[in-house]
Amino acid sequence: MAVSRGRDAEYTEYVAARLSSLRRLAGALCQDWDRADDLVQATLTKLYVHWGRVRAATHPDAYARAVLIREFTRERRSVWVRRVSLSGTVSDCPAAGADQDAVLDLRAAVAALPPRQRATLVLRFYCDLNVDQAAGVLGCSPGTVKSQTAKALTAVRRALGPAPATGSGGQPAAAAEHPIYPGDRRP
Amino acid sequence: MSESQLRELFTQIAAGEPAASRVDVQLARRRGRARLRWRRAAVAGSSVLAAAAVAALAVTAGAGPARPGPAATPAAPRQFNPLVPYLSFGWLPAGNSLVAGGVRPEVAYLTAGRNALSPSTWDLSVYAAGQCHLTGPARKLTCSTQNLAGLTAQITGRAPAVRGHRAFWAGPYLVWQYARGGWAGLSLPLPYSSPKLSSPAKRAAAKRDAVKIADHVRYGAPTPPLVFSVQLTRLPSRWRVSSVYYLPDAGVLRVSRFALGTGNPDLGADGGLEYQTNLPYFSSIDPAALRKGYCYRAPNRKNSSERSTSETINGYRVVVTHQVLGTLPRQDLCSAHADGLSLYISEFGARPPISLTSLFRDHLRLLSANPANWTTRPIR
Repeated sequence: MAVSRGRDAEYTEYVAARLSSLRRLAGALCQDWDRADDLVQATLTKLYVHWGRVRAATHPDAYARAVLIREFTRERRSVWVRRVSLSGTVSDCPAAGADQDAVLDLRAAVAALPPRQRATLVLRFYCDLNVDQAAGVLGCSPGTVKSQTAKALTAVRRALGPAPATGSGGQPAAAAEHPIYPGDRRP
Repeated sequence: MSESQLRELFTQIAAGEPAASRVDVQLARRRGRARLRWRRAAVAGSSVLAAAAVAALAVTAGAGPARPGPAATPAAPRQFNPLVPYLSFGWLPAGNSLVAGGVRPEVAYLTAGRNALSPSTWDLSVYAAGQCHLTGPARKLTCSTQNLAGLTAQITGRAPAVRGHRAFWAGPYLVWQYARGGWAGLSLPLPYSSPKLSSPAKRAAAKRDAVKIADHVRYGAPTPPLVFSVQLTRLPSRWRVSSVYYLPDAGVLRVSRFALGTGNPDLGADGGLEYQTNLPYFSSIDPAALRKGYCYRAPNRKNSSERSTSETINGYRVVVTHQVLGTLPRQDLCSAHADGLSLYISEFGARPPISLTSLFRDHLRLLSANPANWTTRPIR
């Protein structure tokens, strides 16, 4: 970014280019686009406050992602969110098809995870970060990332119940595909 | 449950990103400035408070994508017609195909990948004449205006010429002048958050593919027809389709989103469309079977201006939502199943000439999910 440009212009240019990717990341974390937009809004404010650090960062996008993830886990820990958080009702959904059922079950299982575990899964399987990178973003040790991933996967599997021999709609059984072994399979 | 299922889930959620965003960059700046003022005051009054305001963040992972940059032959179009796709890929690496595209007056764009949900895609943007400016001694290419979500590409090196025209690398982007006064940019398929092509060999192969893709892009050549599964009637004469986002479907390019305009996209651009106060935009028109769970009555939250009601219009169940975002009123109308289609229509503004309920009731023809019924004339 050109040094001569004003802080606001630089900032606006940067966030305009990254807004969509930040929203998608927030959407994967929150699974609710209203909350995702709130999360991105809070993240943008922090990025403005710390714009000097963002500019100076070797990887500004990674910095922005870290701010968003930490804002997510911080916000979800707060008493206020626990009190005001509402669960949306999906009243007008059409009957889901067989495949869609499985996706909705998985989605619900992931949504039920504690924020830090959900963030860990998103970093590992959506952002494609390895254990060390995820640990850096979450501000914890690689071992914690591994254990959080393992706990999250166990919880999701428990919520989904035992996998059938073949999935509905002709889908292969989950177990037939590559299972997830947290921590030790990825570089 | 497999790793691929989890990846697919997150990708699917992210792909459902609504076109219109409530995020307000100006608001973030105002709040940021206020926070900075507070911090400065705290520094003056108490160094402890100031210290507490400083957040420390460790950055460890790879950079995400910047936006692609621009390129040059005969004169580039001064504007694109949103009803004409204009662009097509002449060559793609094995396993890749067109997954989406769109047109706005300033830019035509295409996305190719292994499938629609792939986070790793080739994104081609071709800008109309005069939209891009190369600054300095080929240091930076800036396209379009900020409120129309343009791109800025920081040039990092010279790339092989594309059909004899100058081209540059701009980080993970190849930018070239495809016509006189017009630039194009192609992003390499790096997931935005993770440099998957970390090995030099893979990166070099991707760069070779990028140059070959760029060499084979067709400009202005015939494409499959751009078709709409809805048609609007009896609209004010100045209303036009201002921007479209389409998906390849059943041998045609099916418009999945579009916006109406009269030439002044005062609300800027996002999600491939550009928006105008008091004019509707369709953020989703898809066969109902493809979109489930996108239309629901939002809970009426105590501290929220958002109010949703269910109604039946022309025999179809719709949800109408009113809210105020900042100072700007917004209304949405969605239907999970209207003649086989799932619709989501929105509008910003306090005085729309046609409300969404009126638009749905009196001005909208639903052409079903059957491709045989679709039309190339969205406004009649």
